[in-house]
Order: sequence, then C-alpha cells, then structure tokens
Amino acid sequence: MITRLPEELCCVDMHNHVDAGPDGKLDSAKAQALLDGTVRLGIMKIGISRPMSNETVKPDEFRHSNDLVIDAMAMSERFIGFCFVDPHFPEEAVAEIERCIVKHGMAGIKLYHQFFICDDAQKPLMDKAAELGVPILMHAGKCTDPATIAAQPRISHAGHFLEALAKFPDTILIQAHIGGGGDWEWNLRTLEGVTSNNYYIDISGSVIDQGIVRRTIEAVGVDRVLFATDMSLEEGVGKLLAADPTREEFMKICSGNWKRIVSRRRMR
Amino acid sequence: MFDINTTTGHWPFRSIPGQRIAELYEYMRGFEIDGAAITNTHGLFYMNAQDANIELAEAMKPYDGFFAGVASINPAYAAAERDLELCVQKLGFRAIRLTPLYHNYPLEQAGEVIRLSSELGIPVIIPNEIVNFRQKHWMEPPAPLGLDPVLQLCRTYPSANFIFTEGTAAHDGEYPSNLYFELSRLRSSYGGVLTELIRNVGADHVLFGTGAPFKSAESSLLKLHHCDITDEERQMVGGTAAKMLLHL
Repeated sequence: MITRLPEELCCVDMHNHVDAGPDGKLDSAKAQALLDGTVRLGIMKIGISRPMSNETVKPDEFRHSNDLVIDAMAMSERFIGFCFVDPHFPEEAVAEIERCIVKHGMAGIKLYHQFFICDDAQKPLMDKAAELGVPILMHAGKCTDPATIAAQPRISHAGHFLEALAKFPDTILIQAHIGGGGDWEWNLRTLEGVTSNNYYIDISGSVIDQGIVRRTIEAVGVDRVLFATDMSLEEGVGKLLAADPTREEFMKICSGNWKRIVSRRRMR
Repeated sequence: MFDINTTTGHWPFRSIPGQRIAELYEYMRGFEIDGAAITNTHGLFYMNAQDANIELAEAMKPYDGFFAGVASINPAYAAAERDLELCVQKLGFRAIRLTPLYHNYPLEQAGEVIRLSSELGIPVIIPNEIVNFRQKHWMEPPAPLGLDPVLQLCRTYPSANFIFTEGTAAHDGEYPSNLYFELSRLRSSYGGVLTELIRNVGADHVLFGTGAPFKSAESSLLKLHHCDITDEERQMVGGTAAKMLLHL
C-alpha cells in the first residue's frame, strides 16, 4: 500500500479549513500543521475556508473570516481560498464575493447551512458565482441523528442539490463531504443518473465506510468526484485508496476535475 | 501487525462487503495484518448474546489462531457471568465487548461482569459507536457513548483494563493507567494528535485497529505510518501492546 499520493497526481484537497486563534487572528500554527500534514500524504494544494455555523452571520463576521483565509493564502501558495458569506445579507455578500474572488484571487464560494442550497435567498450569490465562473462549495449531509437534525435544520442533502441545479442552471455546485454528513447511501441513491456538468461532490469527511468512494463514482460518474479531506487527512487518502481507482480515475479525482472547474473561471 | 477492532456477521442496516469471516481474513492478510481481535456483530442484536459467541467460536476455528475472540456480553441478560466464564475458559476468548447502548442498560450495571473480567485477566472493550452516529438507522442508539462513562469505569474498577474503540481521546485531565485507546478515529498527520497521545499515555496504551469490515483499513495504516514515533513504539502500537493485553 502506498503511504502518500504520488506527485504526478498533483493532488488538490479542495475542502479544508483554517481558523482563528485566541487573538482573533489567523491560527498560523494550525495552518502550518495543515500544510505539514498534507505534505506527508502527497497533497499539493489545499482549498480553505472559514465558515461559521451561526444561524445568521453578520457581514463584519464573514469579512473577518475571509480575511483569515486571505492571510493564509499569503502564508503559502499551496492554499486555495474559498469565500464564505451568509445570504441573509445579499448586497454585502455579493460585494464580499467580488472582493475575495476578484481582488484576492480566491477560487470559489463556501456556503454553510444558513439556507438550503435551493432556497431563493441564494439567487444573488448563485448569479454572482455564475458571472465569475467559480464554484459554490456547499456544506451538506443527510443526517439522521436527533442532535444534528436539531442543530442543522437547513443542511442541504442531495435532493436540495438536484433542485438547485434546475433553479440555478448556470452555477457550478459542489456537494460537500459524502463522508461527513449522515446517510451517504441515501444521497447517492438520490443522485443516481445526475447528468449536469455543473454538479460535483467531494469525498471528504471522517466516514470511511467500506465502498463509499467506489459507490460515489458509480452513482455520479468519476468526472464529478473531487478529492477532499475536510481535516480528516488519512481518512481522505485512505478511502480513495480503498476504492482502488484506475490511473485515469486517480487523475480525475485528485486534480483533473478540479482543473476543469478552474478553467471555467471568467475573471482572471 | 495486530488489529484490535474487527467484526464479523451481518449488519442489518447496510450492506457491508466482507462481513463473512473468510472474506475478512483475506482482507486482513492483504495488508499483512497477521492477527485480529474479532467480535460477532450478531451479539449486538440477539436477546441471548451468548449464541453469537458460540457462532463466533465455530467460525474462528479454521483460521489457526489468527483471530482472538471477543465475547459479546450483556450484563442485563440472564447468565452473563456464566457466559463470560465459558467464553474465556472453554472457548478461549481473549476479551469482552460491552455495548450498553445496544443492550439498553446503564454501564454501572456491568460491575459484576467487569470484576469477573478483571479476575480472569481479560480486557473490556467498549466502542464509542458502531457506525457513525450521524447516519444512524432509527432503531440504533441516538448518540455515541462518549469517553466520560468509560473514564468513570476506569476509576471505579482500577484493576480492570478497558479499551476504548471508535472514539477520540479528547479529555482535559490525566488518563487512567487502565485505559487503552484504539487509533482508528484519531488524527495523525494533521496536528499530531496520535503522536501526542502516544507521548502522553505510552505506546503500550494505544492500539492499532481498523474497524474492518465496516471501515476500510487504509486510513488506520496511514495513521500509524505517519505518526512521529520510534520504530519500537510503532511496533508496540502496531500489535505488541494488544498481544500483551490479550495474553497472546
């Protein structure tokens, strides 16, 4: 068994995070630990964001979160920024997307569970993402336990994504962590036969159930599967290896599909 | 390599590849794992869990000592202590597994069984959860067990040894010396959680485990490979510690 992904894969972990330290500034030690840890496993680039799980996140708060990401991007070119906003504040959110993507070179938008992905409140953000040609990475899951259901009443599942694909046909959507949020089989059964070129799913999360990545490839097609860890580094690499991908599948999941997303960016 | 955390038998809520013992054996050997502690998943669901232990003993026979039996004991059911004695003395089992959330009893009720395990010199394995709680079937427990009740048991029964599987080691105070951790849910490369735990409790108190066949084995192997410990410590975590604990 290999213990790190080969360099030729140019592996991108497109779903990860940085955080604030006790002083409110970027926790650079933690960011460095992420850089070091990913190197060990052969992960070259790391998509980072700093989402907040509050019911409502004020503009000052999401701007501060994104400043941390900008600081991390300055710390290492290996970091790829994702801009977090809350659709409760559409004007400020769109302006913040403009700032992060255009001015600071972030690669995508990160949304959390403030609204379902298919909610009309997302429209200004979806339109902006489509205009810029950048993807929206959405926190997702089909959780079945009472605590998560109570804590995250608007977490998006696969059904919400299918609805969003129809409602916002020009926007690239990435469903987060098939292994991080509940009944992954339900999500995959719901997604079977998805044909949209705007739909992607990432394999991150701590769940490493036997067959989870292979079943994901079978359900949505290898062209829609993205490598990611969401901080569970060995789990991410381990479950990818467990799927026993062909070289072509490895290439697509680790970097090829992400490159295809990036190539659609309109704002250079 | 010795895996402290494997199971065989049918899981009713999801189709799991490789749940037959012959498949698990081949799977383990494919990773050059040369021994494993094993429990029968049926023991979670049978009213009379002892039947699951008898099934397991029979299933293990062709594998010539590769598997170390872990008895499913339900202290809330009839004859639990007799079952435990039979499992150890007649069937050669090396540990017991307690699953209070599946057998529906408070852990305090396991006192007699824990005392007897201690007398018999076998450890008590307590899983935090069987599958990740966020994907639970409606018939399964609503939440994981957590480390706190296991810490309490460690203090109440200092002569017994406890192995906490499928959980993290997050805890502010000192760890009791009779508590052992299985590593499959601990982070390694990112932040060095596993390395730190080994420094804290000792390499002989952290045990390699995969959770197969529920989970794929690769990530546990990566965790052990990438933690910053000496070769001697890696050998200890990779199997020596578990074998000592199980008297193998």
